Amino acid sequence: MNYTKEIREIATRLLESGQVDMVMAWEKGDQEYQTIPFVARTVDEVNRIVCDEYAVHNLANHLLRFRDGKEKIAIVAKGCDSRGIVRLLEDNQIKRDRLYVIGVACTGVKDPLQAMKANSGFERKKDQDEGLASKCLYCIQPNPVIYDELVGEELPLPELQGRFARIEEIENMSVDERYKFFEDILSTCIRCYACRQHCVACNCRTCIFDETRPQWVGRENNISDNMMYHLVRASHMAGRCIECGECERVCPVNIPLMLINRKLIKDINGFFGPYEAGMEYVEGNKPPLSVYRENDPDDFL
Amino acid sequence: MKVLKTGKLEQVIDRLAQQADVYVPMLRGQQSGFYSWKTYNEDFDDLMFDILNVYQSPKHLILPQTEKMYSFRQEGQEVSIEEVAADIEPKVIMGIRSCDVRGIEYLDEVFLTKGYVDEFYKARRDKITIIANACYNPGKNCFCDSMGVSPTDPEAADVIMREVNGGYVWDVKTEKGEAITKQIEDLLEEQDVELFSLKPFLRKVEYDGVAEKLKDMFEHPMWEKYSEPCQTCGICTYLCPTCYCFDIQVKAWGDEGYRFRCWDSCMYHEYTQMAGGHNPREAAKERFRNRFLHKLQFFPERYGRPLCTGCGRCIVACPTGVSIIKIIDEVKEAETGA
Repeated sequence: MNYTKEIREIATRLLESGQVDMVMAWEKGDQEYQTIPFVARTVDEVNRIVCDEYAVHNLANHLLRFRDGKEKIAIVAKGCDSRGIVRLLEDNQIKRDRLYVIGVACTGVKDPLQAMKANSGFERKKDQDEGLASKCLYCIQPNPVIYDELVGEELPLPELQGRFARIEEIENMSVDERYKFFEDILSTCIRCYACRQHCVACNCRTCIFDETRPQWVGRENNISDNMMYHLVRASHMAGRCIECGECERVCPVNIPLMLINRKLIKDINGFFGPYEAGMEYVEGNKPPLSVYRENDPDDFL
Repeated sequence: MKVLKTGKLEQVIDRLAQQADVYVPMLRGQQSGFYSWKTYNEDFDDLMFDILNVYQSPKHLILPQTEKMYSFRQEGQEVSIEEVAADIEPKVIMGIRSCDVRGIEYLDEVFLTKGYVDEFYKARRDKITIIANACYNPGKNCFCDSMGVSPTDPEAADVIMREVNGGYVWDVKTEKGEAITKQIEDLLEEQDVELFSLKPFLRKVEYDGVAEKLKDMFEHPMWEKYSEPCQTCGICTYLCPTCYCFDIQVKAWGDEGYRFRCWDSCMYHEYTQMAGGHNPREAAKERFRNRFLHKLQFFPERYGRPLCTGCGRCIVACPTGVSIIKIIDEVKEAETGA
């Protein structure tokens, strides 16, 4: 996937005409496999923009920085990123008319972090092609679901296999086995909050984990506070995770956070579905857990 | 020269582990860090003496992420306070690289000098023996020599292991090092070997003059520009071998509880949250700027050296590609009003 040329043309047009104040895209980092988020504000900066196979980051999260402003923002969005934009619109975090969405039909991306790590000397394996980012293996929508302009040809929806296979395995564990499983993976958390910071669903102005009066979750790094952190975060993800995979990608200790998110996706779909978060923008639409209906299922309570 | 043959490495660790808790670099599942030899499981763990470094720096062995300070209980009108005994089991950190040894030297400066000795830190530090693993083959994101660290001769090491063909030269540096060598002397062999020479660094950065220049750069537009991709997570500060900020908090229930300290990060909103509700570092720019000013200006002003050892972890692990090398380069090139 390389839409650099097309995006630069669009960005030049939008900035030149004054239609937008900035274009959110990517630029190259120090290494050939490093692509990093970049915001172009002038036509001169446009030639730094790239949109290549390492454009993995979900830029929708970056919109939150501008939620109180008035700037007109063009943003490049892959399928999953565009679902993030829909979620922000549903949550009234930004107004639709402030956005110009440059949708790209995404053939899958690679993770520059994985490549950095593999080439850093911190791991045994070296210089091997990492393949597609793990989120792309279970992608349900490679096409942008909201856009003002589309780059690339719309792609057929992938035939998914095994999206919930691992979830079902974990569901079938005994309670004790499952507890042990989560204890093992969550005990290694270092509480850097990278999963929260890179998450488009985490758009609360004041996060419950930052509150001090009262302090809902302790700051100790132990299994009890770690589990509390991840459980509370998980319950807030239900109906909101758009599977961009950023939380799992950025985790410095490789906690398989998408397992938790996919379980929630599966359950929300089962209880309230058919539902996948952020698949289309309809003004006024809310995710299932943000509305109350008399016929909501409650037999799991 | 005394040489430890690779085949006897585990025997040496076993022997040392009889008298101390020995921490060695391991790959454990998806993670790498310094883990206790007591917890080594050959089915899951992989000893990592032969790779560049591990992701999680060993600073937690001296400055634990969470540490109880004392517990208390209210009894009628009285409060009884119970000191929590500091963890005084001797530790050996084996296989640590120069950059991380320098990290410990900086922690020593912070917790032991300038008129205040942190007793919790000191109790741990006194019981630690450092067996470093000299580095002859810098990685793609290493720049320790640019930050004044010698990759082959870590200053605070008690013993330096120097990789040679088939093993390691065992180079004793201090009395602590001699004491520990006595335990394993019979496992070492006298042998003439040729040491490797240090391979050239791929990354270089000019730090000279940066601290001075930064004094006039608090309002420089570079902070806005470079903090743009920063999502203010704590990865860089928590993987860093030198970041030492901590918070002191309390956990209480009913009439009892305990006070503890835990790592904190200048990238967090809560770090500078004030009681009245104001936060002087509200957004990414201010927090980002503080992190680099602390490392490159404030710390050198107080202790004479920058708070960065060039280990490269923050560069490798930053999800949005922030690089301290770029920051230093930019400061070097920046035109200041002065």
